[in-house]
Amino acid sequence: MRTIRQRLLLLLLPALALLMLLGGVADYWIAVATTRNAYDQALASAALAAAASVRADDGQWQLGAAQRAAVTPRAAADGSRLYAITGPAGELIAGSAQLPVALPGASGHGDGVSFRDADYQGQKLRLASVRTDTDLGTVTVTVAETLQRRASTQRVMLLGKLLVDFAELDVTLLLISIAVYFGLRPLSRLGEQVEQHSNSTLARFSEADAPGELRPLILALNHLLELRHHAALSQRRFVADAAHQLRTPVAGLLAQLELLLQMPSRQAGEAPDLRDELQAINRGVQQLAHTANQLLALARAEPVAALGESFQPVALRPLVEQQVERSIDRAVNAGLDLGADAQEAQVTGDAWLLEDLLGNLVDNALKYTPAGGHVTVRSGVEDGHPFLEVEDDGPGIAESERQRVRERFYRLPGTVGSGCGLGLAIVDEIARAHDASFTIGVPAAGSGTRMRIRFPRC
Amino acid sequence: MRILLVEDDELVADAVRRGLSAAGFTVDHAGSAEAARSALAAEHFDLAVVDIGLPGDDGLSLLARLRGAGNAMPVLVLTARYALQEKMRAFDLGADDFLMKPFEQAELAARCRALIRRAGLAPSGALKLGRLQVDLLGHQLQIDGVAVELTRREWLVLESLAHNVGRVVTKERLLQALAGWEQDLSANAVETHVSRLRAKLGDAALIRTVRGLGYRLDDTAGRNP
Repeated sequence: MRTIRQRLLLLLLPALALLMLLGGVADYWIAVATTRNAYDQALASAALAAAASVRADDGQWQLGAAQRAAVTPRAAADGSRLYAITGPAGELIAGSAQLPVALPGASGHGDGVSFRDADYQGQKLRLASVRTDTDLGTVTVTVAETLQRRASTQRVMLLGKLLVDFAELDVTLLLISIAVYFGLRPLSRLGEQVEQHSNSTLARFSEADAPGELRPLILALNHLLELRHHAALSQRRFVADAAHQLRTPVAGLLAQLELLLQMPSRQAGEAPDLRDELQAINRGVQQLAHTANQLLALARAEPVAALGESFQPVALRPLVEQQVERSIDRAVNAGLDLGADAQEAQVTGDAWLLEDLLGNLVDNALKYTPAGGHVTVRSGVEDGHPFLEVEDDGPGIAESERQRVRERFYRLPGTVGSGCGLGLAIVDEIARAHDASFTIGVPAAGSGTRMRIRFPRC
Repeated sequence: MRILLVEDDELVADAVRRGLSAAGFTVDHAGSAEAARSALAAEHFDLAVVDIGLPGDDGLSLLARLRGAGNAMPVLVLTARYALQEKMRAFDLGADDFLMKPFEQAELAARCRALIRRAGLAPSGALKLGRLQVDLLGHQLQIDGVAVELTRREWLVLESLAHNVGRVVTKERLLQALAGWEQDLSANAVETHVSRLRAKLGDAALIRTVRGLGYRLDDTAGRNP
């Protein structure tokens, strides 16, 4: 996917390159035309001056001044200029023999000078010819020049022009890049903000110094966040209400059943079969209570409900200690050794959700570890990452099942006992709400299960 | 021991009333905050069990008015709602304990006992824990009415555990309790004193080791064997 910056540059660069190319061609023609005009002018001046100096006194040609005018001493020194003065019949009076002549009208100036390009003894020449009338008839004065000097002047001019063009191109590119960068800054800044947007539904994007084009987008985003916030709040309210509506009757049922089951045995004796059925009902209601609790815990942990603003520093060590203390009776009843290995660690999160998470991990370990086993709850920091961990020496979870056990309502094949298959799904959701990873592995000892929640560095 | 139960749900109220009665408490029931206030004005209670979700004034405002009037009676708050703010508000308003519905009757009874014990501890100084009789002021321990001699360090361990019966006391805390008496104390010393104390208690009480955490004196009083 191309960024807007790339698209802008891709659109601008070919146009710029074409413009520069056209500019270069134009510069070339200007350089050529300018030097030709300037040199032709000089050549014409020399020819005119020479023609004006031609004298015929007493039937004799007086050509000294004409020669000096046609070929300056400097030009004579490097041999860049030649001349020829021919008589009315074309006979050579002075100068180089067989130097071509520019015929009048070929390409002329208003002042009677004719120009021509010609080859002479293997050299390219530019010629200017002027006719002048003398007492001995019309003579033609031709001044010729080699092309080296004009070519080198053209080169210098062209080179200079091109250098300036390149400098312009560079500066233009730089300016465009800078303009594009700064012009798109609000957009990339908004992008960063969206990327870094916390889970919190309260945070809003600032439209204060955003350009007009972005304002509708920011308003729309903020509106969406607003909607999400309201949805999260109403979901929370719903969960709280549902919790209340479900738990109260379940609490009543459970309490009543507990009383019935504790009745003195003389009453049980009167109806011996009733006790078993009461036990069954009790188990069923407990299962119902557990499932209701777990469903609500799951709903609470849903990302949209896990409002970031409830996040605050949570110390993991007391969390572990409280959880072990809370579960110690269950562990004792199940014939398990439950222990803690709590090191100081701190994360940013929701204390209740983390309590739910750890409670589910411990419940899970206590439920699936056979009597006589060990369950250890840990907290600490490893490589800068705080972690929570529950390890048992039970049967372990096959590698192929480790992903599936986190799915809602999934239970391992052959699992006995109560359980609704939501525990690890809740752990997974809560870990995700905290940007933590949840891994299921094998303890260092080699058998059993090690479930670890690794939090981001703090 | 007299308990005021403030709960509007008939099913829960009836079961809790009967359950706590069976655990040896006298229970009065009020179905609303108003009824609870008139009961409290007329009678003395050792403890109130208050549900938050009541019709009219809720349990928390009842608690607030109670504490506002200077009543220090222990209050255990019950709730079916799950919200951290609610729990924190309850404690901020002066609740002594907090229990979520659904709960087990035995746990409610144990917590009620612990609250009443803690509240009543200072004046009497005597603690009855099943077969143990712990006189915290007189530094006396009796098992089945027979006095048992303890060393000072064993007594300090027992004192810490008895104050927190049913709850885990960390090794660090035991170490701190002992440190006043011994200068260089190792964690092993705690273990030594605990095991000596265990030997003296025999099967009259169970000091449970919670691996990596500490020790707990199990709360056996009132529990069905």
